[in-house]
Amino acid sequence: MAKVGVYVCHCGLNIAGVVDVEKVVEYTESLPDVAIAKHYAYMCSETGQSMIQEDIKKHNLDRIVVAACSPRMHEETFRKTVAEAGLNPYLLEVVNLREQCSWPHSDEAEEATEKAKELLRMGVARVRLLEPLEKRRISVEKSVLVVGGGIAGMQASLDLAGAGFKVCLVEKAPGIGGRMAQLDKTFPTLDCSACILTPKMVDVAKHPNIELLTNTEVTSVSGFVGNYEVTTVKKPRYVDEDRCIGCELCTQACPVKVPDKINEGLSETRAISIYSPHAVPKVAIINPNYCLRLKYNACGKCVEVCEAKAINFEQQPKTIQFKVGGIILAVGSEVFDASKMPEFGYGRFKNVISNIQFERISDASGPTGGKIICSQNGESPKSVVFIQCVGSRDKRFHEYCCRVGCMVSLKQAILAREKLGRNVDVYICFNDLRAFGKGYEEFYERARGLDINFIVGLPSDIRSAADGSLYFDVYDRGINKLLEVHADLVVLANGLVPNNFDKISELFRVSRSADGFLLEAHPKLRPLESPTAGIFLAGTCQGPKDIPDTVAQASGAAAKVIDLLSSGEIELEPLRAVVNKDSCSGCRMCESVCSYNAVEMKTEKINGMENLRAEVVEAMCQGCGLCASACPAGAIEMQHYTDEQVLAQVYAASLKTEARGGSQI
Amino acid sequence: MSLIDLMSMAKPNLKSREKFLARLVGTERINCFQCMKCTSGCTSLKLLELKPHEITKLVRLGFVDELASSDIIWACATCLKCVQRCPQKASPYHVIMALRNLAVEREAKVPEAYLKAVSQILETGVTEPVQKVTTKKMEVFDRESLRLPKINAPKESFQSVFLKTLEERQ
Repeated sequence: MAKVGVYVCHCGLNIAGVVDVEKVVEYTESLPDVAIAKHYAYMCSETGQSMIQEDIKKHNLDRIVVAACSPRMHEETFRKTVAEAGLNPYLLEVVNLREQCSWPHSDEAEEATEKAKELLRMGVARVRLLEPLEKRRISVEKSVLVVGGGIAGMQASLDLAGAGFKVCLVEKAPGIGGRMAQLDKTFPTLDCSACILTPKMVDVAKHPNIELLTNTEVTSVSGFVGNYEVTTVKKPRYVDEDRCIGCELCTQACPVKVPDKINEGLSETRAISIYSPHAVPKVAIINPNYCLRLKYNACGKCVEVCEAKAINFEQQPKTIQFKVGGIILAVGSEVFDASKMPEFGYGRFKNVISNIQFERISDASGPTGGKIICSQNGESPKSVVFIQCVGSRDKRFHEYCCRVGCMVSLKQAILAREKLGRNVDVYICFNDLRAFGKGYEEFYERARGLDINFIVGLPSDIRSAADGSLYFDVYDRGINKLLEVHADLVVLANGLVPNNFDKISELFRVSRSADGFLLEAHPKLRPLESPTAGIFLAGTCQGPKDIPDTVAQASGAAAKVIDLLSSGEIELEPLRAVVNKDSCSGCRMCESVCSYNAVEMKTEKINGMENLRAEVVEAMCQGCGLCASACPAGAIEMQHYTDEQVLAQVYAASLKTEARGGSQI
Repeated sequence: MSLIDLMSMAKPNLKSREKFLARLVGTERINCFQCMKCTSGCTSLKLLELKPHEITKLVRLGFVDELASSDIIWACATCLKCVQRCPQKASPYHVIMALRNLAVEREAKVPEAYLKAVSQILETGVTEPVQKVTTKKMEVFDRESLRLPKINAPKESFQSVFLKTLEERQ
């Protein structure tokens, strides 16, 4: 017979403000096998925990029920508590009286108290049948895959490599640096992006612990936390990476013009080119969609001029396989395409540009050499207007705040003022201006001091006059006047939007939140982890962020991986599926429903007959229970959630509270 | 509500607001964050001083009675730009139409110009009577000289449907 101790937590007033905890305790005492029932203000506090431990020793309790907040919050805390008192940690049941009782029923105290009694009756029914379980230990690979070579992926790789881990950094573009490599200066300090980025790019390329795979994509991932097997494909560059010295003679010789992706289509490069001005690796690449040799077997001018004999049209895709213990996804985000929003005329009017295009024309290594000019006529603008919240905070496109648009426009307005001089009008049309980070409000103040006009209101549309100049009406809610503003250059503060993560979420089994970004395990307490064990998130793939936040998250994710892998082995929860081989008919239903590829079919010879039997790979099973519910023969049982345990709970739920406890249970 | 408009000493009336919102399908229609896009583009702002953002805000605060008896709600040209451009999927247009219905229900005074336009539609089928146009060369054109088809007065069936709809609304 079990000896159950029940501990009801007040959670301050979170639970006790609604649920009558004394009545609940009184009722619980009448339940079968309950030896002791208590309530306390904060069970998770030291006093609360030691109260449980003392009772375990004093009364020889062998099962514990804690009725408090969600088990997601403190199940682990209380498992440690009972384990310290010498009890198996899996002989604990957490009843959720907060998220599932007092919070949703805050207006109905009486009903909530009744529900609390029922929840406890169910908890006690289950805890009596729990069995002691042991955690599993498996050894892990002390190496890490980082996907994405932007600032997030680079920072995470450098931190991991510095801690002695082998890192494989995979980047699908021909060079690393990501979005930050396109930026001119960075807020709020106005240091140039290249000056702080390029040294890091070189560090990444030179670090002995980092293997850098550019122009490479991950094609398959199998395995489980600590033991992932990764397959990548390195696309052909058609240029030998070891031979090319980056002299760009080939680019000068190439006759085929190609829109420059790094410059957001504002200039042209050639079919063979170096990826970006500060490219790492500084190796040319041939664009197979444009190259005359690859398309029509013609030309070949680059071969003639290349002194290093680096060009190789025979290069084939190369498959590279390796094993890693953990994965960091730092795959970044896209910039909103403003042509989806016809009212601002992006794509129709040449002088309406995106903020990322402004970065390129403001950058000294950009298409204009750092001169801010109008795209239409190449003249320097007399009036520059920034329009905020384009594609963000807009239910037609993306409902969230892009978190960078305000600061980007403030920075670009300051750059415009500095580069174009005092006689140019600079406007920012905004709804709310958000300067929330360290030093950001001061940066806003700096912009106000530079005679930048802030208009509190967004224009409805932008129109073009007969001479091609732009103008629009905007109602300023500060002065209650409708203003007509003439602009030579309009810069749209496009927000960050999620990539097409279909492939990523399929490959790495990570899900997406409602806004389309990759979902973290917990928005507050586990923001760096994906719900899949061993896979971590860094940078804007998890949600829009600026550079300081991205770098912080990347370092955080690296620290999480170090925490996971440093001891060389990890503990796995014992909650897993177990197949009863005698009942298994080999129908493969479990194999088809398992999302973790944890079910393997094995042939067994019994009395000369070959029989197919399912087997669960212990390390891969996540204990989700799908197979157990799908098995038509009932041959699969979930540890810690056996049929017996769950059904006892269901039965207890169906009883009337007046029955007062228990001979029936 | 615990506020007073000190300019007119008016107090919000939450009961009318509640009634009003019940007939306005979806509270999303007043879910405005005052970005001014509607007012920046409003066709009736320059001449008639209609500010759609003000209307939604006043409804939110509970000044429904004041709006229903004011002339400003009759200024809307129903161009629907505010609906199309609103980033919050709010709709000052729907709010204004509901306010107009409320005003008629309460037999508030409807501006004469508006009633004129209504009777114009009833009689001729168009909001404005067909006019002659004078070009820069001082030539005068009417529909006939441009060989455009004649606009006939609406049929009786149109008028009866029109009047019936008006009655039903009331």
